[in-house]
Amino acid sequence: MLNPQLEACLQSVQKPGRYTGGELNSVVKDKDSIRLRYAFCFPDSYEIGMSHLGMKILYALANAREDTWCERVFAPWGDMEEQMRKRGVLLYGLESGDPIRDFDLIGFTLQYELCYTNMLNMLDLAGLPLESAERTALTPIVIAGGPCVCNAEPVHAFADIFLPGDGEEITNTLIDLLIAHKEKGSSKKEFLLAASKLPGVYVPSLYDVSYNGDGTVRAVTPQGDAPAKIKKSVVRDLDAMFFPESFVVPSVEVVHDRAVTEIFRGCIRGCRFCQAGFIYRPIREKSPETVDRQCRDICLSTGSDEISLCSLSASDYTKMEELLTRLVAWTDDEKINIALPSLRADNFPKELMEKLSGVRRSSLTFAPEAGTQRLRDAINKNVTEQEMLSTARQAFEGGWTSVKLYFMLGLPTETPEDVAGIAELAQKVVDEYYANPNKPKGKGVTVSVSVSSFVPKPFTPFQWEPQDTREQLEEKQRGLFSHIRTKKISLSCHKTQTSLLEAALARGDRRLAAVIKTAWEKGCRFDGWDELFNFGFWEEAFMEHGLSVAFYANRRRDCGEVLPWDHMDYGVSKEFLIKESKKAGENETTPHCRVKCAVCGADKLNGGECDARCKGLV
Amino acid sequence: MRAVRVWFKKEGRAKYLSHLDMNRCFTRAVRRARLPLWYTEGFNPHPYLNFLAPLPLGQESAAEPLDMKIEGEITGAEIEKRLSAVLPEGIEVTAAADPADEALSIAMAEYGVSLLFGEGRTAAAFAEKSGELIKSGLLTAEKTGKKGRHKVQKQINICEHIFRYEISASGTVCSLKATLPCGSQSNLNPSLMISALKRETGLAEELITIRRIRLLKEDFSEFR
Repeated sequence: MLNPQLEACLQSVQKPGRYTGGELNSVVKDKDSIRLRYAFCFPDSYEIGMSHLGMKILYALANAREDTWCERVFAPWGDMEEQMRKRGVLLYGLESGDPIRDFDLIGFTLQYELCYTNMLNMLDLAGLPLESAERTALTPIVIAGGPCVCNAEPVHAFADIFLPGDGEEITNTLIDLLIAHKEKGSSKKEFLLAASKLPGVYVPSLYDVSYNGDGTVRAVTPQGDAPAKIKKSVVRDLDAMFFPESFVVPSVEVVHDRAVTEIFRGCIRGCRFCQAGFIYRPIREKSPETVDRQCRDICLSTGSDEISLCSLSASDYTKMEELLTRLVAWTDDEKINIALPSLRADNFPKELMEKLSGVRRSSLTFAPEAGTQRLRDAINKNVTEQEMLSTARQAFEGGWTSVKLYFMLGLPTETPEDVAGIAELAQKVVDEYYANPNKPKGKGVTVSVSVSSFVPKPFTPFQWEPQDTREQLEEKQRGLFSHIRTKKISLSCHKTQTSLLEAALARGDRRLAAVIKTAWEKGCRFDGWDELFNFGFWEEAFMEHGLSVAFYANRRRDCGEVLPWDHMDYGVSKEFLIKESKKAGENETTPHCRVKCAVCGADKLNGGECDARCKGLV
Repeated sequence: MRAVRVWFKKEGRAKYLSHLDMNRCFTRAVRRARLPLWYTEGFNPHPYLNFLAPLPLGQESAAEPLDMKIEGEITGAEIEKRLSAVLPEGIEVTAAADPADEALSIAMAEYGVSLLFGEGRTAAAFAEKSGELIKSGLLTAEKTGKKGRHKVQKQINICEHIFRYEISASGTVCSLKATLPCGSQSNLNPSLMISALKRETGLAEELITIRRIRLLKEDFSEFR
């Protein structure tokens, strides 16, 4: 049952179903029979967090342990935050309704930089001091994982431990260690020292950072015998890896409510702007048998009518045909749809498309990313105009009437011709539609062009690049608008302020922790939501700490500069990234990993193995 | 194909699920329960589910009727058992049987409302003043109605829509029982009545529970 204070909150907020818990398949345990309580926090709304696969896996994984009870926590929306503060309701776990302040472990998943203020807000709503140093007791220990942890420096002060890489194995190891130390009565310091000895664990308080006069990092120095380099965790065998047999079924509508499983982790493509393409290396595939079994389990336990096969580039899965044959054998009868996000435009066989013909037709999406072949080569997005247009033609022949195209502005080496190329490519897609003799009568085509701003990220060949300034980006956006001459093309551009902040936080150093805290104090929350984003607060926060957004976002770094994340080891070597960066400058492409191994170095984290290579396709 | 009327309770945390949430929730539940349902034959087949008297968000119910179409042999008891196992906390199927009455014969609903006040005197004052207001025969409220396709605000006199009521206070709790119109012909959300009473009395509760107790036909007999 809900307590009366919480109930009073719920009666005054929008969509109270987000805050009640009690969903089907949520896990409730007897408090007295467990040894560790874990609050898994997603620092965004319920609707976003409940769509996230990683959280589903780690929630089930922790709850599969008899000694642990893991609960879900999401960021309350503004109206709920106000009610909670007014009525003194502390942030609670959805399963028990108990304040997470009393839990042993609090975990955050940091999926994007713009959720940092939500992490702070959640700690505050929990009634906990924001900074690791102010939380002196052993528990709760605050940990964080997710892609942002590849450069956790801007939030180093708030978590006790970061877990770079795959969370499936290290979570269990860390829980074991914490239980042991809790029962031994260790101090927090003793526990952190022990944890820092585990591979895949980064304890930021055990490192000192010094700066040069120009504000760049001079050195990151480990204290005592903390490792100089922290290796990310890698799960070697995805078939043997833990995967839930059931998902919590959200009671209110969320962004993605479907049975989802990964078909592989990592990517062979090496698009130079894409952080995910590098930090999740090496590529590891799941067998069709495993994927099929996992989909069945989830559909049975949740009643889901849609399966989503998740990866960074679905058409690179080597056993897609076998997998679809297996799936279609039972999903048709069960009236279950199969969704394949992240399909590339160039290599998806028509026959496979037909296998999916029962699937509801949404619009078709391509991500050419850049407007000209020259720039696509520079960013190593190895897809040609011919390939895109022929896929579009096939789609139009198959009855599609709308196409979405994703591009980025501000990519390194971009020229005005590249910007104009975006409009030209979109126009060619429109022309392709009208060239189809069998186009539906009286129906026009819609080509939606969505343009974001390029954000340079750590562990990519572009990590040294300056981001275009806001003025440059806005100038390019205006230029692009002027090139569009038809109403068949609808163009939308992302807000440049958001991308600017994202760029500053992504490559930030430890000094940004104070900036983030100040921005939060000024009222920043849900920065990823356009309607709540307040760039003015952020600018003030940077200024109050004598820092500038431009230093982090718009400055070109020298290859020799110590980067704030240099002590993190994500497998891909710096030499490889430098080589790729040079090739970008010469518009030279790198073939994908199955054509030729680019010797990125990621396989060393996986015992020298890489699925791109063991397929005999070196 | 035959129709089955499923009766369920909606209590506790589940009362914060909206009507759309309920639809999604039962769609998933019937799939999980593997009920032999009839699917619509359109482009996007889905099971036919008809909530006869959608409940406003935040209200509880002791007995909500839901009609489904079954294709195949299955007993009411089996439907009840299988569904109950796959619903979220707070939703419990209490019966599944052939429909006795036409869906359109729902005319009224009986509600139990309990208001928790800060102190006993407020609860008593609220009960007393509310009784007088209802007896006076004039208690206005704004209601969103439809005129053609447009939404319009209209003034209604709530007293004209109250078929039966009882109001009393005990300690800090004021209890109100009311029979109000419910259905497609005429409908009055009890929270509209409560907010009119709060406005007129100038008193506000700390916590409120609204519970639909049963659905009635025109002649005050229970809808089944």
